[in-house]
Amino acid sequence: MLAYNQKSFLIVDDFSDFRSSVRSMLRELGVKDVDTADTGEQALRMCAQKRYDFVLHDFNLGDGKKNGQHVLEDLMVDKLLSHESVFIMVTAENSQAMVMSALEWEPDAYLTKPFNRAGLAQRLEKLVQRKTLLKPILQALDRGKPAEVLAACTALINQDQRYAPLCLRYKADALRDLNQHDALEAFLKSILADRATPWAYAALGNLLFKRNKVSEAQLVFEQALKAFSTMPALYDGLADVLVARGDSKRAQEVLEAAVRLSPLAVRRQRLLGKLALDNEDFESASKAYRHAVAQGQHSRFKDPEANLGFAQALISKNGDQGLDSRSRVELNQTLSEVAKEHGSDQGLQVRTRLMKATSLQLSDPEAAAKLTEDAMGRLQGMDQFLSADAALVVAAQLQKLGQEDAGADVLKSCAEIYGDDPAVMQSIAKQTDDPAILGAGKAAMDLNLQGVRSYKAGSLPQARDFFRNALALQPKNISIALNLAQSLLHAKDSTPDAANLQECQTCLKMVGNMPDSDPRYDRFQKLQSRAFGA
Amino acid sequence: MSEMDTGLDFSMVIASTVHDMKNALATLIQAHGQWSGRLSDAQRDTPEHGVIDYEFANLNGMLVQLLGLYKLGVNQLPLRPDYHELDDFIEAQLALHHEVLSSRGITATYKVNSSNPLGFFDRELIGSVVANIIINAIRFARRTVVINVAEAPDGLVITINDDGPGYPLQMLERQSDYVQGINQASGSTGLGLYFAARIAESHERNGIQGRIEIANGGSLGGGLFSIYLP
Repeated sequence: MLAYNQKSFLIVDDFSDFRSSVRSMLRELGVKDVDTADTGEQALRMCAQKRYDFVLHDFNLGDGKKNGQHVLEDLMVDKLLSHESVFIMVTAENSQAMVMSALEWEPDAYLTKPFNRAGLAQRLEKLVQRKTLLKPILQALDRGKPAEVLAACTALINQDQRYAPLCLRYKADALRDLNQHDALEAFLKSILADRATPWAYAALGNLLFKRNKVSEAQLVFEQALKAFSTMPALYDGLADVLVARGDSKRAQEVLEAAVRLSPLAVRRQRLLGKLALDNEDFESASKAYRHAVAQGQHSRFKDPEANLGFAQALISKNGDQGLDSRSRVELNQTLSEVAKEHGSDQGLQVRTRLMKATSLQLSDPEAAAKLTEDAMGRLQGMDQFLSADAALVVAAQLQKLGQEDAGADVLKSCAEIYGDDPAVMQSIAKQTDDPAILGAGKAAMDLNLQGVRSYKAGSLPQARDFFRNALALQPKNISIALNLAQSLLHAKDSTPDAANLQECQTCLKMVGNMPDSDPRYDRFQKLQSRAFGA
Repeated sequence: MSEMDTGLDFSMVIASTVHDMKNALATLIQAHGQWSGRLSDAQRDTPEHGVIDYEFANLNGMLVQLLGLYKLGVNQLPLRPDYHELDDFIEAQLALHHEVLSSRGITATYKVNSSNPLGFFDRELIGSVVANIIINAIRFARRTVVINVAEAPDGLVITINDDGPGYPLQMLERQSDYVQGINQASGSTGLGLYFAARIAESHERNGIQGRIEIANGGSLGGGLFSIYLP
C-alpha cells in the first residue's frame, strides 16, 4: 500500500456524517492531513491557501449552491489545483452524463456513493499509479507548455506502446493549444477511424467549425449524435454549426434536447435563451434565461447578458398587456443585480435603465421617461462601444420610448463601428431606411477591401494609405482600425519607425473601446501587446 | 416553476423516488459500515451480519438497475466509453464487495489474460453489470468466485464464474428470450440479463456489437457469465 501519511486530503460534502465517515476511512489508511469543507466556496478558499494532493468532492452540495463541477472549473482555470493532484467527484448515483455539463474539465475519477474503505483505498492507489505514469505530461500541463506536453506524450508512448491510448486526449489538447490544425485534424480522424470516441467527435467537430468547414462539422456532429445521443457537448457543437448556417430554429431544438439531458449548464441555457428570443419564442426564452441567471450565481460563467436577456424575454412575453406581478418582481431583481454588480460599466448602466424604462412605459410613463433621460445622458458621455446586438436593442428601445433621434444616433454609431459586417447592416436596415445611416460606410468599406488586397500583395505603404483613408471616413470602425494597426506594425524583423508606432498606438487606443466579447478582441490584444511592448 | 402537468407520469415518479431511495440506502450503508467498524471481530462475524451486508449490496444493485432501465426506456442512458485499465476496473469491483465477500466466507480472485492492459468501454455501465453478476454469483457460490478478462476474437471478454449449482437449465435454454426482454416476469435475474444485454450491445465497434452469454461449467463448475465487448 502507498504511504499516505505525507499526503494532504480535502473532503468536501454538505453532510457532516459523510465527512466524518470518509475522514475515518482515510485515517485507517494512514492519512494524517485531512481537511474538510461543507461548501464549494470554502473549498476554493482552502485550495487557494494550501496545495492538496487529493480532493474528494461531492457533486451535489444542495440547490442554489456551487456544485462539484463549478468548483472543478474554478480550480483548474484559476490554477488552484496541480494536474498532479487527484480530484475525485463523488456522486449519489451513476450519473456521469447528468453531472457533466461540459467536456472541458473532467475529474480524475468518479466514486459512487456508497463506497467502503477497500473501495476508496483501491481507487486512490490506482490513481496515484496513473498520475505517476503520466507525471512528465502533468508537469508540462502545470507549466502551461503544450509543446512539452507533446514531447512528454511521445516519450511515454515510446517507452510503453500499450499505454498510448491514455495519451490521446493530452496530445489532442496540446495540438489544439499549439494551433496545429492540420495535424490535429488528421490525428482526431485517425482516432475516430479506429473507434467511435465521444470526446474525439466533439473535438473534431469544433475544430472543423473553427476552420470554417461548417458543413463538414455538421456531418461530424450528426454522425456523433447517432452513436452518442446522450452527450450534451455534441448537441452544443451542432447548435453552434446551425447558428452559423442561419438555422436558429433547429439550433434551438437541438439545445432544448441538450438541456433535457443536462440542465446544469449556464452557457447552454444562455445561448438557448438568446436563440429562443431571436425565434420569438418568448416563453422558452424566459425559461432558459431564468435558469441561466439562477445557475450563474455560482458559476464562473456568470454573465450580465443573461440578466438583460431574461428581462427582455419577460417584457416580450407579456407583450402589450404589460408585466404581470411575478414577472415584474423577477425583472426588477434581475436588472438591479446587473446595475449593482457593474456600477462602473457605463454600457450596462445605460442598457439596464432602458430595459427598465421599456418595462414601465405603460404602467408608469413618468418613471420610464426619467430613466430614459438618465440613460441618454450617460450614453452621451460614453466612449465604450456597445456590442452590435446591444446597440440594436438600445436603438429599438429608444425609438419605442419616443426618442427617435437618440435611437438613430445609436444606429449610426453602430453602423460606423460594425459596418463591415453584412449581418449587422441587415439588422440595422430592419430598424431604419435612412440612407445617411445605411450608405455612410460604403466608401470606407471599399477602401478597406482595397487595403486588404494591397496588404496581401505585399505593398505595405499602399495598403496603409487605403486603410488611413478608410479610417478617416469611419473613425470608429473596428476592422479598419485593426487593419491599419497591423499594417503599421507589419515589418516583423525591423522595429517600426516612431511615427508609425505612434499612429498605430492612437489607432489601438480608439478601438480599445470595443467590447471584450467581440470575436476580434484577441487580435486586438495581440496587436496591443506588440505596439505597446509586452 | 409553472411546468406542472395535470396527470402524473408514473415511470418518472418511480425513477425520482428510486433516486431518493438510493440516496437513503447509501447513507444507511455508510453509517452501518462505520458502526460495524467499531465492533469486535466476534461481534461482527455473525450470520446476521452476512445477511445485512449481502442484502444491502443486493438492494443497491437493484436500484441502480431500475434507474438504468428507466433511462434506457426514455433513451437517456448515458454512454461514454473510454480507455480503462482492466486490472483497475476489476479490482475496484472486488474492493467494493469486500465486506459481502468476507462475511459470506467467499474468496474472489481475478486474472487478466490480455496483452493489452486497457479496455475500451463505459466504466459505469459495465461496472453496474459486473456488480450485479457478482452479487448473483455470491448468492449461489459455495466458496469461490473467479473473474477472468481475456482477449476474444472481436475484442475482449469478461467472465464471472462461481462454484455454485449453476443457472437453471430452463434459463440456459431460453437465454435469448431473457436477452430480448420477452420473459420479463422472471424476477431480478432475468431482468438483470436483459439489462446486461442492452448495455453490452450499446458498445459497438465498426458494426460489431457487444453481447452476453450464460452457461454452466468453467473452471469452477458453477454459473458462468460472459460479456463480450468489441
